Amino acid sequence: MESYYLLLLFGLTSLALYFAGIRGLGLRPAALRPALGRLLECVGLAMVLAALNVGAGFLLVLALRRLTGSFVTLYLNTDVTLLALSALQAVALQWWMRAEER
Amino acid sequence: MRAAARAVGAAGLAAFALLAFTPLVAALHGGRSHGGVLPRAAAIVVLGSGVMPEGELTDTSLRRTLHGIRLFRQGLAPRIILLGPEYHGAVEAEVRGRYAVDLGVPTDAIVVEPGGRSTRDEARLVFARLDRRRGAAILLVTGLHHMPRARRVFEREGMVVAAAPVLEDSLLPDRPQARLALARAVAQEAIARAYYRLAGAF
Repeated sequence: MESYYLLLLFGLTSLALYFAGIRGLGLRPAALRPALGRLLECVGLAMVLAALNVGAGFLLVLALRRLTGSFVTLYLNTDVTLLALSALQAVALQWWMRAEER
Repeated sequence: MRAAARAVGAAGLAAFALLAFTPLVAALHGGRSHGGVLPRAAAIVVLGSGVMPEGELTDTSLRRTLHGIRLFRQGLAPRIILLGPEYHGAVEAEVRGRYAVDLGVPTDAIVVEPGGRSTRDEARLVFARLDRRRGAAILLVTGLHHMPRARRVFEREGMVVAAAPVLEDSLLPDRPQARLALARAVAQEAIARAYYRLAGAF
């Protein structure tokens, strides 16, 4: 039930945002499709970067264990914060790529 | 590259929706908490799970400790081995030992082992505490997700393991956040299992 509540909330606010965008901000409905495409692109980049960050983190921890001789847990790399940081990297990369296109 | 990123993004969002808003993750987990009769053993072994800098056990550590103490009080073993290293000045095994004493476990039945920092370390240390006796029977107490990996590591070390898992996340979560937490725990353990396999731990 809680799942459906969140989906309903998300649907309602998205619909409100759609109409606010058209009427309040003067946005064209046709421009939404490429915007959603870019959203998918950003999510995809974030996922790839997250996987790379986790992989690099594992290697870093193994290297630190070897170099320092002390125990560093691999679980450091499964902190949810790394997902948010990967998303920031993805947004920055996407904007950078778009800036180069202009 | 753009098309590939969009395809990955679409797949990622679809996976997110399935994991957060459907019971898929519970079906993927497939595990069940132990409901059977446990045999008697030489020792109850409670694996580490963390202690707060303030000196209090984490939720999962407390669950495992209480489960181990309960098994001891049922008379299933003459000894209880409590593991857990030092984090930020607090030693998990020692905090657990104090709980055990407060809850009526005789001091001479408690073994506090703070040395292990990984499941593999813990298996080696427990084996040493059992006088390196191959075939020594233990009741292994750890989280349900962690149990298959832990069991194999302890068996490889030479012990006979009866699993006494502790449920640390509901397998029937009804909120998206809880489903995602379960998915994370399952994924984390899958990665750990792959790493142990690659490292030759079992």
